[in-house]
Amino acid sequence: MDILIGILEQGLLYGLLAIGIYITYIILNFPDLTVDSSFPLGAAVTVKLISMGINPWLSLIPAFLAGVVAGLVTGIIHVKFKIKDLLSGIITMTGLYTINLTIAGQANLPIFQQSTIFNTESNSLLPEAITPFSVILIALPIVLLCKYALDIYLKTKSGLLLRAVGDNQNIATILAVDSDKVKVLGLAIANGLVALSGAIVGQQQRFFEISMGTGTMVMGLASVIIGLKVFDRIKRLAPTTKALFGSVLYKGVVALAIALGLSAQSMKLLTAVILFIVLIASRDEENKVAYA
Amino acid sequence: MPLTTVQNIVKERNRKMYKTNQKNETVANGKNAKTYQFKNKGLKKILLSLFLCLTLVIGAACSTDTSSSNQSEEQTANSQLIDGDFTIGISQFAEHGSLDNCRQGFLEGLAAEGFVEGENLTIDYQNANADMATAAQIADNFVGKKYDMIMAVATPSAMHAYNAAAGTDIPVIYTAVSDPIMAELADSEGNPLGNSTGTSDALPVEAQLKMIREIMPDASTIGILYTTSETNSESTIAIYEELAPKYDFELETVGVSTSADIPLATDNILKKVDCLSNLTDNTVVNSLPLILDKAYAQNIPVFGSEVEQVAIGCLAAEGLDYIVLGQDTGKMAAQVLLGEQEASEMPFQTISESYLYLNKEAADKLNIELTEDLLDRAKEVFENIEQ
Repeated sequence: MDILIGILEQGLLYGLLAIGIYITYIILNFPDLTVDSSFPLGAAVTVKLISMGINPWLSLIPAFLAGVVAGLVTGIIHVKFKIKDLLSGIITMTGLYTINLTIAGQANLPIFQQSTIFNTESNSLLPEAITPFSVILIALPIVLLCKYALDIYLKTKSGLLLRAVGDNQNIATILAVDSDKVKVLGLAIANGLVALSGAIVGQQQRFFEISMGTGTMVMGLASVIIGLKVFDRIKRLAPTTKALFGSVLYKGVVALAIALGLSAQSMKLLTAVILFIVLIASRDEENKVAYA
Repeated sequence: MPLTTVQNIVKERNRKMYKTNQKNETVANGKNAKTYQFKNKGLKKILLSLFLCLTLVIGAACSTDTSSSNQSEEQTANSQLIDGDFTIGISQFAEHGSLDNCRQGFLEGLAAEGFVEGENLTIDYQNANADMATAAQIADNFVGKKYDMIMAVATPSAMHAYNAAAGTDIPVIYTAVSDPIMAELADSEGNPLGNSTGTSDALPVEAQLKMIREIMPDASTIGILYTTSETNSESTIAIYEELAPKYDFELETVGVSTSADIPLATDNILKKVDCLSNLTDNTVVNSLPLILDKAYAQNIPVFGSEVEQVAIGCLAAEGLDYIVLGQDTGKMAAQVLLGEQEASEMPFQTISESYLYLNKEAADKLNIELTEDLLDRAKEVFENIEQ
């Protein structure tokens, strides 16, 4: 039972990461490697602010904004300087490594002694029976709020333009839309969400580590693909919800692997195999994978 | 196979295909066509999911074998076995000689106190392979299974274990954590902050500096290569900077972020120093053969931080014995398991004793003479550089 709660927790905490990658990789068709560094950026900002005594809830906002700035940088490098999408993500990712270290001040910054959004005094008022679920109960409103805000945004004119630009650049030009601005906006929102995810993960594990972002791009992408493909047939679910479920599923698979005694060496191979199988099993008629 | 049979089979197949095509054509967008496609896809999905489950099961079967073969077989059950059944989850951060030695020593230390694996003790060993998210899930997994104790090897695993076990009464014993105070596992006086204690492998910096001065009386600058992502490196360098002036040394440090940066960083640092000294920095230690090659080309000695480094070519080292460190940790764990003391009441321990290791072939290559004093004092003298 505890293991199930752990899976739900991890899935939720990394859920915004999956949603952010959904925006860049699926909607915008832009493989954005910035997330490997914008994820720890959010954690660095929030952990540093908490260690300086700022209210943990308030510290989430600068974390989100920092991610937005990171996305803006990638976007501007891509549109203004005409650098290919993959490379502009790599440039920002590499530069952010130093910035993350500078913000945190050290490679590993613990906040075990401070209160986070998961263990403030008001939490001790919760009855005993609910305490195992406290992380889920606190993270859920944050994640759902962001998810629904994003869903509403995607239905607005600006959001529809985002999807148009990702689908077909020519349509965007015909509609006299500045696809550059739209791409930058999409990247900014996505990386903001990724940084927010990093912030709540940093608060849940109560320390920042410079290497906590390594592999998050693969993790997020796997979550999104698994979510979108497994729940493909259920039309009523919004894609963002599917990405969230995908995140929980992915963490479930990892937990299952650990519980079965799979060595950690095989974990990465397992992720690759699962991703491969999920993609193959749901190839649609045009043989296009990773298309939603 | 007779020709007629083959012809029949081909005819059958063609007929079926014709039927299918007809179906698709006549009921273009109707329900029938859709359900036909659905059935095919569904079958494919079921087969593939079965294949996936099979892969998982086979993978699990294979790897449980390999992880159990890692257990040491040299444990001697000394004192009488303690009554009861205990389970300990060992969360190790990475595959690394010193960390493996810690784990081995830990099991030996426990065995000496009456906890023998396989008899009254079950060990669940998980290695995170330097992945933070995996380390977190391993810790969650151990807490979820309500083990009697969690043993964490190396700082990131220790911090995840501490976080996961907070709020439960599972004690966390850590080892190979260079700075428990900076990791906020203990306060500035060494008292535990929570139900966790353990041993620290803080480097014997003073002994190392003294030894370098003894071997190289005229050297003035020591160079240190370190990885910016390892906090242990930062805190050890701080100690070096504090103590170096005492022995008339200046310090020159160059940081790298990945092992790909090491060749250039080594070229850079070798221009400015008289010798190099190593920390227990994973990235640097993994690239040690390359660093040694470059250093020997410039006739600059490299001083290591533990015995394996001297074996492969470092001139000398004042190092910790990680097996002894593990044994000390095992003894602390035994005390907690026996209920003699709570983990929250035991300040963390550091080994202060270091041993001198020397390599004669390295000294010859560098034209450095190892005095009789040094050779006598050394715990182990390597005649050759191992390849």
